Amino acid sequence: MFQVIGGRGVQVTRLLAPGRAVLVEAVRGRKSRTDTVAKSKQGRIKVPPPVDPTEMVVLKERYAEYEMITRALRLEFKEEVLRKKYEEETGSMAEEHRALMVFNDQENLRMLQQRVVRIQMEKEEAENKQVEAAIERELQQQEFIKEKEREILKLQEDAKNFITLENLDQRIEEALDSPKNYNFAVDKEGRVVKQTMLQ
Amino acid sequence: MPRYELALILKAMQRPETSAALRRTVESLMQRGAVVRDLENLGERLLPYAITKHNQKHSRGAYFLIDFYSATNILSGLLDHLHRDVDVVRPTVLKKDDQVSSSNCCGPQQ
Repeated sequence: MFQVIGGRGVQVTRLLAPGRAVLVEAVRGRKSRTDTVAKSKQGRIKVPPPVDPTEMVVLKERYAEYEMITRALRLEFKEEVLRKKYEEETGSMAEEHRALMVFNDQENLRMLQQRVVRIQMEKEEAENKQVEAAIERELQQQEFIKEKEREILKLQEDAKNFITLENLDQRIEEALDSPKNYNFAVDKEGRVVKQTMLQ
Repeated sequence: MPRYELALILKAMQRPETSAALRRTVESLMQRGAVVRDLENLGERLLPYAITKHNQKHSRGAYFLIDFYSATNILSGLLDHLHRDVDVVRPTVLKKDDQVSSSNCCGPQQ
């Protein structure tokens, strides 16, 4: 009997359902489940009272507005009663409130100024750092280019001494004539001896 | 900078034969597209141990060092060729590192 209608059906049911504070649940009454149905009630199908949709929508809107207003008024009156009770206990709150608000505004202003100053400083710092970084990068690049140029020149110089087919014989003769010795001896005092006997 | 270094150990031979072997080696390098930078002779020395190669036992060898720049793909072919050469006792190709700057050597200062 009480089916669950989910999704968009819910909005429709909310619109069309009679707005009641309390859901009326079915109650068993005098007869239990196993008792026979009365003769006059055989084949009876219970239907809820008919509802006119447009009337229902209009009524719901009006009731919602009305209830909102009455609730607001009720809460206002309650608040006023509470404030009166509070005031007669602890003197008037208005001046204290005003003083605190003024204090709050001053604090906000002070912090705003500090913040503005700090942000300015930070922005300048960041800009300076960026400029410096750009300069640094430029310098690095220049250095790199110079280094590479130096290497190229060095290689060009060395290239003059490379072995080619023409030099080949001459270089072989030179090499065979002058054996190089890379061996050396060192002692704990750090004295280096490059002259060793080549076997 | 020199990319590779061929540490070549040749059989202990007479001068013309050694120079012929070297010429052969350098020509084979150049034919594969390498640029030979330098050729050094480390002398004819006693090998650290007896090496047997091409059915011959060697106790002395002529050590040579050849720096060259080359492509990477030729090395296996080159080593193959050198292993087959009868006069070559041991060919070794090594990569040559860049010169380490010897200014600040790390270690305990004295």
